[in-house]
Formats: sequence, C-alpha cells, structure tokens
Amino acid sequence: MMRRMQVASIAVLIVAAGIHLLLPGDPNSQDLLRALEGPSLLHPFGFDHLGRDVLLRVAHAAPRSLGLAGLCVVFAYAGGLALGMIAAYRGGLVDAVLMRLVDLLLAFPGILLALLLAGFLGGGPGPILFGISLGLMPQFARLSRATAGQVLAEQHVEAAEMAGFRTTAILRRHVLPPVIHSTLPIGVLSVGGAILSVSSLGFLGLGIRPPTPEWGAMISEMMPYISEARLQLAAPCLAIFLSVLAFAHVFTTGRKKVTAGRRHD
Amino acid sequence: MTYWTTMIVGRLAQTAMVAWTIVTMCFVFVHVLPGDTALRIAEARGGAEFLNVGRAEEIASEEGLNRPILLQYGEWIRRLATGDLGVSLVSGQSVTSELWYRGQNTLVLGIVGWLASHLVALPIGICAALRPRGWVDKLSSFYCVTMASLPSFLMGIGLISIFALSLRWLPPAGFRSPEHLILPAATLALGLSAFSIRLIRDTVREVNGAFFITFARTKGLTASMALWQNGWRNAAIPIVAFAALQFAAVVDGFIMIETLFNFPGLGDLLVSSMLARDVPMVMGAGLVAAVGYGLVNLAADLTSLALDPRISQRDQRRATFR
Repeated sequence: MMRRMQVASIAVLIVAAGIHLLLPGDPNSQDLLRALEGPSLLHPFGFDHLGRDVLLRVAHAAPRSLGLAGLCVVFAYAGGLALGMIAAYRGGLVDAVLMRLVDLLLAFPGILLALLLAGFLGGGPGPILFGISLGLMPQFARLSRATAGQVLAEQHVEAAEMAGFRTTAILRRHVLPPVIHSTLPIGVLSVGGAILSVSSLGFLGLGIRPPTPEWGAMISEMMPYISEARLQLAAPCLAIFLSVLAFAHVFTTGRKKVTAGRRHD
Repeated sequence: MTYWTTMIVGRLAQTAMVAWTIVTMCFVFVHVLPGDTALRIAEARGGAEFLNVGRAEEIASEEGLNRPILLQYGEWIRRLATGDLGVSLVSGQSVTSELWYRGQNTLVLGIVGWLASHLVALPIGICAALRPRGWVDKLSSFYCVTMASLPSFLMGIGLISIFALSLRWLPPAGFRSPEHLILPAATLALGLSAFSIRLIRDTVREVNGAFFITFARTKGLTASMALWQNGWRNAAIPIVAFAALQFAAVVDGFIMIETLFNFPGLGDLLVSSMLARDVPMVMGAGLVAAVGYGLVNLAADLTSLALDPRISQRDQRRATFR
C-alpha cells in the first residue's frame, strides 16, 4: 500500500517536471477572443482572463515552481549542514554565536521572514530563494549540529585527529556521511513546504511576477474571475496540491516502518 | 522557580532580538538600498505627478535625511523605544491606531478559528482512538493526510467556491458582519484540525494502552471509567500543550487567509503595505506579528510547564549533570 503511494508520488513529480516538453507552445501567447472560454478537447482546462491556455501555463510553471523550491531546499540544506558542522566542531564561542543566530531565525513566525525579504528586495527568483532558504536553514543547522556533536565524540574521530588529518578531511570523511544520513529525509520532506512557500509568495504578489507562469501568481490573477472560471482556477490549485502531496509521500514508508516496529515491543 | 524565570527571560530576549532584526531590516531598506528616500516619500505622499527635486529636498531636511546614517539609526531606534511607530506613508494616518484596529480583527479571527478547530478535533480524535481501525479512525486519518498537504489558501478557495458562490449561503470576502467571519475561521479551523486530530488520537490511544489503565481495569473499573478517572489528565498534557502551540501557528496562517478573504486584519495589512512600499506600516505589522508569535509561544511553554511539573524537573536534572 505505502509502496504504491511512493510510486504514484514519484510518477506525479516526473509528469509535473516533464509535461511542458510534450506541450509545445508559448504559455504567454494570448487570444483575447477566447478569454475565459471553457474546456475543450485540445484545451482541457480552458483559457484564462487574457485568453491564455491554462493547461499550457500550469505545465510551463511546473519546472519553475518545483525547481525554485528544490533550489531553496538545496541552499538551506547546504548552509544548514555547514553551519551545524562548524558549530559542533569548533564549539565554544563559535558554537554559541552560530546557534543563537539559528535560534533567532527560528523565532520568526513561518513565512514572515521570506515575505519581508522578498518584499523589500523586490520579488524575482533571487530574493525568493534567499528568503525561503534562510527560513528553512535553522532546522537543518540544529539537526546536523546534534548529529555532528555525537559523531565528533566518537573514538574514530579522535583517532583521525591524532593521526594528523586535516579538519576538512575529518569533517568530510567522518562527520558528513552520518550527518547527511540523519538529515536527508527531512530535507526531501521540506521540498513540499518550499513549494508551498514559493506559491504563497506568488499568490501574495511578492514572488515571481506575472506574466511569467507561476502557480501562486496564476491563482491570484484568476481570483477575480472565480465565479466564471472555476476550472481555470482549479488547475494551478490542483498542481500545488498534488506536488505537495507527492513530496510528503516520497519518504513515508520509512516512518511507517519505524512506528510499526515500535508497536511490537 | 529559577527554571521558570530563566525560560521566560530567554524567550523574551529572543523575541526582542527578532523585533530588533525587523526594525533594522526596515531601516536598511529605507536608507541604504538604492533609490533616493526623500523622492520615494515625496512620491508616496503627493503622487508621481507632483514629484520634483525641490519638494524632495524639503522632505529630506524635514525628516533629517541629510544627517549621518548612524545618527539617523539612533534616532529611529529612540523613537520606536518611546512607542512612536510613525505615520503611514500612504494614508498619513498613525500606524499605531491602524494596528490596534487590525489587530483586534485578527485576534477575533484567530481565537474563533482556533476554538472551532478544537471543538471539532476533540470528539473526532477521541472517537478514533477508542475504536482503532473503526470507520471514524479510517476516515479521520484519510482526512488528516489530505489536509496536511492542502495549503490553507487552496482550502479557502474551495470553501469560497462552494459556500459563497454555488450555495450563496455566506459572504465571500470582507468583514462587515459576524457572518463574514465564518469562512475564514472555517478555513483556519480545518487546517489546524488536521494536525490536532492526529495528535489527540495518538495521545488518547497511548494513554489507553498505558499500564495504569490496565491496572485500573484489573481493579474492576469499566473501560470508559478507567479512561475517564485515570487517563484524561495524562492525555490532556500533550493535547493542551499542542493546542497552545497551534495558536502560535495561527500567527503564521493568517497572512494567507486574510489576503484571500480580503479580511481587514494584520496579515492583509502587512501584505498590502508591503506591495505599496509603506515601510512604517510594514514595520509595525511585522513587529506585532513577531512579538505576538513570541508571546504566544511563551504562553504555550508556560502552559505545558504548569500542567506537567516533570518537564522542569527533568531539565533541571539535566542541567546539574552537565
């Protein structure tokens, strides 16, 4: 059952990322005479208020939304791991300062940090990336610091230190693998949240600007026409929902097994 | 007692740091980023048609924008410390009064949504826990999994589409009567309940399987009597703690929900003033959101401490061993 869920979610993600290759055409080309036209066989989600094919726009937005969310997580993950490992290795003042910084970032409520940064720096992919990854980073920093601290206390690390290995070599060979092992599932899981943040910013008008196709921005563009064009509005909503659901289910099998095992004893 | 004070002081200091970060971010935006500040203020006040260099210079000397930047920063902080948040660049009205009005609306929305979510989640969660693998359990766990991936604004769009447009039962947007509160509060409540139902179910089930319940059953109490007399206090600890934490999550969710429903609250204010580049207003709304979040989190921690003395004892023991 859970295996099926995983296969389905991977299939959804592959389709989402690749479908724009099968649908040629310019997502921004307008045909004002067909504005708000209902669905037809060739255009199953109809046309939006400017006469643009909704399916085409949703498909072309997918690699941007998913890619941006993925990049946010990659940046946050790399930054968080680096911070956590440095804090654990150096200890003392460096540790205290870095971890207080992480605490500070954690104390920002949810999307507020990304909203302020993206808003002040003026939308576009760069500020979004910066804002969202800064918000995601603390959890990775915390987790990797905890794991790195445990690993560094082990004897093989001490042995490597005594053998005269350089710091970078020790961190790379002995600390990085277990840290990645403990944080990777959460990293993949948080891509779903990042998709949500990207599209939330787009919806608020602070993310990727129209006319560039982006799911959240498409929703806010179509909101005034909600009573005439529900199907057109539903398309980007569905895209967000399915991709978040897919990322939530890529790793559930592992978690289910852990709890099932615990129930036996 | 010392444990409590350390925790409270630490939390408050952290909240103060967040507030300071927001204030500094706003200052940097106004003064350091490219673009002439005086010109921007002149544009916001008089509109682009009346914009000229003379007017901008007048504003610059009026607002002290010609002085050294550090001096201006000191002035900025000093004015905030006295509680003066300035005036909106767009409407020219006091930021504090606008925040007061908007804050009340947001608070009403948050409390109603939060209470509603627990009114729904408690009976469902307990039912699901008492009959594992029953239909309530199956249905509710499907609901939780789906809702957890359904962002609040998508749910809001769905609710608007059904209840405001198809059935025409409720108004879709704005806040002029209590009826306007129903849809945004329901959106908030449905999103929150997805998480609390699962927690309530797991907690009650865990307590139900605990040894002291088995013991109470061997004493001869019926299943419901055992749970009711011995179980509820144990089950209440995580549930209440989580409920308090969820109120902090409201602070996060209201930005999207208020924008969607055009609800005149803090989140809507934050977004609209950000789009209008109204920095004093953004700063005010951001400050209230961040400080509110910090305080609610503190309250959540204090609640769980008060309910469960084991937490402070355990942490103290850990501290002495270290």
